[in-house]
Amino acid sequence: MKRLMEAGSLLRPISWMPRPLPIRRLFFPNFPRSVKASSKFPGAGYRGPKPKRDWVAEWVSRNDDVVRSLPIYVGGFSLFVVLFNRAASGIAPVADASSSSQSRADLLTLGLAVTNVLTGLVWLSIRPKSISLVNPQGVECQKICSDLPDYVVSELLWMWESLSVVTCCRSLVIVYEGSCLLQIGVAAESNGGNTMEVDAPKLIQGLLYQGVVKSGAQSYLANLSLYPGKSELPFLPSNTQAVILQPLGDKGIAIIGGDTIRGFTTADQAWITLIAEKLDATLSRFATNLTVTMQD
Amino acid sequence: MDSLFLNPLIRLSLPPRFRANPVKYSCLYVSFLHPSVFSNNIARRTRRTRRRRNPTISVRLGDTGEPKQQLNLSVLRFTLGIPGFDESYLPRWIGYAFGSLLFLNHFVGSRSYTTAAQFRSEALGVSLAAFSVALPYFGKFLKGATPVDQAALPEGNKQIFIMSESLSDIQKEDLAWATYILLRNTNTMSVLISVGDALCVRGYWGAPEDVSKASELDWFERQIQQIGFSDLRDTLYFPQTSDSAFSEMLPRGTQSLLVQPVLGAPKLGLDDTQEITGGFILLASSMSYAYSDRDRAWIGAISNKFRIMRVNS
Repeated sequence: MKRLMEAGSLLRPISWMPRPLPIRRLFFPNFPRSVKASSKFPGAGYRGPKPKRDWVAEWVSRNDDVVRSLPIYVGGFSLFVVLFNRAASGIAPVADASSSSQSRADLLTLGLAVTNVLTGLVWLSIRPKSISLVNPQGVECQKICSDLPDYVVSELLWMWESLSVVTCCRSLVIVYEGSCLLQIGVAAESNGGNTMEVDAPKLIQGLLYQGVVKSGAQSYLANLSLYPGKSELPFLPSNTQAVILQPLGDKGIAIIGGDTIRGFTTADQAWITLIAEKLDATLSRFATNLTVTMQD
Repeated sequence: MDSLFLNPLIRLSLPPRFRANPVKYSCLYVSFLHPSVFSNNIARRTRRTRRRRNPTISVRLGDTGEPKQQLNLSVLRFTLGIPGFDESYLPRWIGYAFGSLLFLNHFVGSRSYTTAAQFRSEALGVSLAAFSVALPYFGKFLKGATPVDQAALPEGNKQIFIMSESLSDIQKEDLAWATYILLRNTNTMSVLISVGDALCVRGYWGAPEDVSKASELDWFERQIQQIGFSDLRDTLYFPQTSDSAFSEMLPRGTQSLLVQPVLGAPKLGLDDTQEITGGFILLASSMSYAYSDRDRAWIGAISNKFRIMRVNS
């Protein structure tokens, strides 16, 4: 008889292949970059065109700071040139647009210079703030509930791999129907260097879980240190910076811990919501199969 | 998205803090048309949270002592409040307007001989106008810039959703979910997933009219074989495509194209119910530069889901 309903004691570490390579290389053999120039198998059957290198985009992304302040310098320089031109040509310093076409031309040029300066300032103001990441303190763990069929295990592991490679996620805990299915990534250290186990029943009775499951909506704690409910998540590393609590239907929760404040973007949140819905469908099908076999 | 909300504690708990190092803002924050949230370049994908712009106080959460004091220029961000009007293209319009006024002034303005000083001034003005016109193009590639205009769906395509017949329910569900999630979360108008023998096409496509419903799949298969997508090993990203090699297969009005191969060996061992497959995911969008780095990373993650297909349920 399957024992999914029992709490806690079934977690076992699964055997993983050693990870000497950075996971990006293994997982994404061709991690997408903005440039594609060559194919490894030139004559292997793909007969379409290859994309050209986008020099401008590359140059701008590489010299982001320079490009942002470039319009200011251009505008400022033109401003001086116009005024100098006017002074050096001996024209009266009166900007009367109706009098001479020289004045009109100067005014238009000044207007363009000011536009450039303002654009440069706007670009400087929208520079994204770079927040440094904080390495979570804890021990690496990879725990998965036994007795799960392979398709559920592969889906859970795929979810962990996607999150850890694409987002700033460093810890993942999945609790479903009263027991912890997965605890992976960096976990808090309990006495003696062991990982702190997830106390699923206590978590389920806590306010955090109840609130999230009742509302059915994802909850994004962008800066965990400000949130008093942090005490309900003792299994996460103490310096986890951001946490996403994603309900899985009304039967479970996925707790995703990240290493940067506000590290999960809106796009990440949307993707996580949809992936969690799929996971919920998979897990509920597994639970249904379970009850069907139990009734036989 | 109905199902998302930001934790309100983050937005409201800290009082506004004044900068320790006062920077003179002078006359820049005196009057604004709408001191409201800047409409376009608040990238949904940057790491800042949204906040109301108060023109006189700089409200910055988490203003820990940074080693380099940055000028806080956020007071400059304003919006005219006209929906659909993209302020980031303002330099381009000003460039066109002032440039044409300069030409007008040169030819129509003064009857007498134009002086050398005026020529210099006008030359400078015209080159500045050209530079202003080019500015939004460069601004697109800066970090944190998002494409603002959600391009309308081009004409001439119809919405289809077809899948290979010979698939198990699990495979059909996986394909349907993956196509749905790609259409919803990225700027995609059409998606095609080909994994092993399975083919799923969803979205707006422009298959020729004389192709009947039953043979639409075959038509797509033939196109794929002609181009040879299945043998792809690298990700292809065409931010601005106008290639004729694809144009027959792709929907009309496609501006960017992304082809992501499904590669790699799975981490777990295989059992009888699973097999390794190869294939690709093709995404077409009606906007140019539609897929940012993060989008492409997520699409790569989705493609990894199809490394192994479950044959039996």
